[in-house]
Amino acid sequence: MSKEWEKVLWKRQHQPDNYIVTGSFLSSLRRNANFRPYTYWPLVLLSCAITQHLATIFIFVSVFVRLKENFLDPHTLVWISVGCFFTGYLNWELLDRTGTSHEHRHANRVKAVKSSILIFLALMSLSPVLKTLTAATSSDSIWALSAILFGINALLADYSAISLGGGEVHERLTSVLSMNAAISASVVLASRLANDLAVFALILFSVQVFALFPRLRRRLGRPSALQLALTLVLFSSSIAVTRSISRTVTWIYAAVQLGVTFVAPAFLVWAQKFKNEIRGPWDVAVPKVNC
Amino acid sequence: MHPISIAMITDFFHPAVGGVESHVYMLSANLIRRGHKVIVITHSHQPDRVGVRWLVPSLKVYYIPFVPIASSATLPQFLTFLPYLRTILIREHIHLIHAHAGLSSMGHEGILHSHLLGVRTVFTDHSLFGFDDAASILTNKLLAGTLKNVDAVICVSHTGRENTVLRGELFEKSDTDPDGISVRDSVYVIPNALVPDRFQPSPLPPSTEIITIVFLSRLVYRKGIDLLVATAPRICRDFPNVRFLIGGDGPKLIDILQMREKHLLQDRIKLLGPVRPADVCSVLTQGSIYMSTALTESFGIAILEAACAGLYVVSTRVGGVPEILPKDMISFANPDEDDVCRAVGEAIKIISEGKHDPLLAHERIKTFYEWEHVAARVEAVYDAVLKSPQMELWERMQRTMQLGRFAGPIYTIILIVDCLFFLFLEWWMPREDMDFVRERWDQEGFVELARKAVTVEADGDETARTN
Repeated sequence: MSKEWEKVLWKRQHQPDNYIVTGSFLSSLRRNANFRPYTYWPLVLLSCAITQHLATIFIFVSVFVRLKENFLDPHTLVWISVGCFFTGYLNWELLDRTGTSHEHRHANRVKAVKSSILIFLALMSLSPVLKTLTAATSSDSIWALSAILFGINALLADYSAISLGGGEVHERLTSVLSMNAAISASVVLASRLANDLAVFALILFSVQVFALFPRLRRRLGRPSALQLALTLVLFSSSIAVTRSISRTVTWIYAAVQLGVTFVAPAFLVWAQKFKNEIRGPWDVAVPKVNC
Repeated sequence: MHPISIAMITDFFHPAVGGVESHVYMLSANLIRRGHKVIVITHSHQPDRVGVRWLVPSLKVYYIPFVPIASSATLPQFLTFLPYLRTILIREHIHLIHAHAGLSSMGHEGILHSHLLGVRTVFTDHSLFGFDDAASILTNKLLAGTLKNVDAVICVSHTGRENTVLRGELFEKSDTDPDGISVRDSVYVIPNALVPDRFQPSPLPPSTEIITIVFLSRLVYRKGIDLLVATAPRICRDFPNVRFLIGGDGPKLIDILQMREKHLLQDRIKLLGPVRPADVCSVLTQGSIYMSTALTESFGIAILEAACAGLYVVSTRVGGVPEILPKDMISFANPDEDDVCRAVGEAIKIISEGKHDPLLAHERIKTFYEWEHVAARVEAVYDAVLKSPQMELWERMQRTMQLGRFAGPIYTIILIVDCLFFLFLEWWMPREDMDFVRERWDQEGFVELARKAVTVEADGDETARTN
């Protein structure tokens, strides 16, 4: 039996049970092992997705306010929606051209045409029902409800980007919930409108903005000049449409947007110095299986 | 050491079955054999196990009417245990309490209250925890709060000690260097032990033609069933003379069944379903290699039992497993498919060349882990604790405040409210009115009684085994 202490349990050792070797104790502790520090500008670019999303929510809300106050003709909104749809679809096709095979694309195209016609007709036939959906509820409750639902939408939305031509697109549960929250919010808002056509136009617009646009945004991929341009366009147009409705809201909105885009990344970069991730032999190992 | 009265406090005790449960029972039994008086305090069990019961050998168990919330643990309540504990500790003239298991809130409460009665505290941690999920962060903070003022901590492996020191913040500012911190010298490592006679290898030498690999554990993710599912078909393909014997039950059973069906291995992989503790040895002795793919393990008593039954062990290198056996009795693998296959291949080679002698392995394990030895080492800890000076309330409060900006004041308030509650109980249930325990079973009395009633003793052995 040697006098030297060993880190084993089966051997009877001479040292007392509370003996600690200063050098070897916690020698297998690793701190911040897989830590890659963030830098400021890439984070700002990544936060563009959030900026875009918030901008679309504000554009939608101001469109609703205009419809309600009769500043905006529902016909115009329907045509804008259709125009948005075709522009977006064109972009989608252009992005798709690099990725998938010809037959696959053709099948997709047929499916897209079929489902867009279906949605168009379904919304048209449902709009009288939706108009009177919440007739018995007071408007105050509707504003509160829609605000909460838009909050859920912004919190749960999927802000990640997918790489171009990169195989399967996994829809996460939270992003589906997020879309549902936004559509529910627009349905309850639409039920405050005066005529069937306005209801139809608003819901159609909400489908463009909350169901189709986030997919396109993810498809645009990692931050690029295109993303940056899109962010600028959306942000300035959201400011423009909000300004004529309320000055105060515009200031608050602009402050939030600047905070999200410029201050929040700086805060994250600063907070990184507190990061202390502890790993050691007690962690649950991750099994590596080939397949 | 002068005989003392010890109270084991834990949420996990007989009639529940598990590692902590059997550890507490075996430790208590061996401390009783060394002349101490030991009682166990635990929560009640459905349907009717509540009140005071006796277990062989003269172990008194108090089942307190608390309802467990999840996996036999009670809700952390901080104060509700005090009336029961005060009465029991006073009645039984307890000198020292020994709390077990990091998730046992009764144990934590025991440590919190005992100083009010001048009773000393020891805590044994049995498991490993990470630091990065919400549950760990919460339970680690609870543990740190409890262990701030404990007199001694025992861990079951060296890796477990490193883990517990970090989780429970068991370091002190050193007096000489204002920035330096050092680990408390009251943190001990005392391994588990086993009863070698219960894991007797089969007297026949193992077959070298057909090699049976035994896998015996709960079939859950943490036991690395994914690795087993990935490697078993490869091993069966590479070694035509290998059979698998898989015991246990759990949510991952379906994966194993699918694997067996997909690779048409029904005749080579035998599934036993749940195995009763009493049957473990008979399952183990059917094989010659024991395979463990656990992803985390603080001590790995199942591996020891297999090694004791004469099996050669293949295990993943996780937690405290590398410390428990000498290198010639175990092959290690990293937790990835290729390396597990390599290690199993190595083990099969050793077995088929007849290099591993089960009976010799059994004899060696006998000398490594003995309950008598463990009890003596725990007794040394008790002795050191009783000789150390007791902390004053003011010092306790100061130390508790060090827990942090938020946790510190919260725990200090709990500590003060606990003292006030204790004073109220002193007035409400005065000690003079209490019914003290005067009868005491001692070792000789028990031996005499055992001699008188051999049949009763046989029943007692039965009880001990099911524990």
